[in-house]
Amino acid sequence: MSETEAVRREEPPAEPSGWTSAINEDWAATIVGLLLLVLVITGVIPTGLVP
Amino acid sequence: MSAGGAGVTPRDPEPAAESTAEPAADAVEGRPAGSTWPLALAGLVVVLALAAVTRLLDKNVPGLLEGTALEDLGAAVEYPVYAIVLGLLGNAVLTATGLRDRLAGGFRTEFFIKTGLVLLGASINLKVIATAAGPAIVQAIVLISGVFLFTWWLGGRLGLDDKLRALLSAAVSICGVSAAIAAAGAVQAKREQLAYSASLVIAFALPSIFILPWLATALGLSPEVAGAWIGGNIDTTAAVTAAGTIVGEEALQVATIVKVTQNALMGVVAIALTAYFAFKIERRPDARRPGLGDLWERFPKFVLGFVAASVIATWWLSTVTADTGKATIGVANDLRVWFLILAFVSIGLEFRVASLKEAGWRPVGVFAAATVVNVLLALGLAALLFSGFSVT
Repeated sequence: MSETEAVRREEPPAEPSGWTSAINEDWAATIVGLLLLVLVITGVIPTGLVP
Repeated sequence: MSAGGAGVTPRDPEPAAESTAEPAADAVEGRPAGSTWPLALAGLVVVLALAAVTRLLDKNVPGLLEGTALEDLGAAVEYPVYAIVLGLLGNAVLTATGLRDRLAGGFRTEFFIKTGLVLLGASINLKVIATAAGPAIVQAIVLISGVFLFTWWLGGRLGLDDKLRALLSAAVSICGVSAAIAAAGAVQAKREQLAYSASLVIAFALPSIFILPWLATALGLSPEVAGAWIGGNIDTTAAVTAAGTIVGEEALQVATIVKVTQNALMGVVAIALTAYFAFKIERRPDARRPGLGDLWERFPKFVLGFVAASVIATWWLSTVTADTGKATIGVANDLRVWFLILAFVSIGLEFRVASLKEAGWRPVGVFAAATVVNVLLALGLAALLFSGFSVT
């Protein structure tokens, strides 16, 4: 096994946790943002409630 | 580590919690190794408490300083400044007490900024997005291509590792930490390389938040051109929003549209990097051609939320009176400000210089030179494409 291969095998790539969670945070942010907007325009969150 | 060691030194095989570089990457991503949800919740409480102090200062300081020698300063300082300074102070206290890395699971910068941007979509008329999309796409394509290729070329001249070159090029040309994470996945980079790139992004973005609005005023740029310049130039989306806020609402809208366009192109660059490294650099025999599914997988979905919020708000405003609409969208704007404050506080809490010291001068030099090119190219493009543009 070459040195490069050895190094690669002991190094999990940076992608999986970071990228997967970034995708999840994308969807979470989209859902939370749109939900809050809908609550605002339907009056569930009224004017003056947000400090 | 020696100069430029980020690109040439094999990774330290220490476990994540003991490495000097890895906590930085994890902190940037918001998931430190070993963090459990009660600690993350405690971290979130810290962020909320500092955000509440920020809001308090933002609302009361101008009034308290009225009639004093500091009146102008009090009126000029906006909430991003309070939030970042408080975040950095909190960072110093938590680091000194050894709590910072334990609580880092609650510092959800990416989630906060993206939720804030989705809510920002509600205050931007769909027509503005549609009108600005053309020049924003042209600016993004020219800027990303030019700055990416320059950084890639300079990194090669200075002998940086190909993977680190790819991370730095993506980070400086597209959208900072998010792009670095995407590029790290695409080229299978080491975690420490991601840590260096993410730390460089934050180190350069923090001063830009204050310098660029000042320069935009000194150069007499219109709010739209200033916004396009800031959006095209500052690497992280959160810092773009902070700088845009300091310039004003119109600049913030254009800056956000430009930055969101760059975000949307991130997937294209990630796919191109994946293919380039698979076929040209590493020549993997099992490499397959990327398809549309890969592009969709890497597309930042919050961009859809941003546009959807604009569509919903634009339609809803056409069904109510102007006064009702203004008051209601004002509530959405207040929520947006809260999420942006949470993001700016988190940026301050996450910042660390340790991994920058590890990186050596060459990656820093490449990033600094690329930033200068980015500043100048973005200024030229913004002046060319947005000089006649108006959001009103």
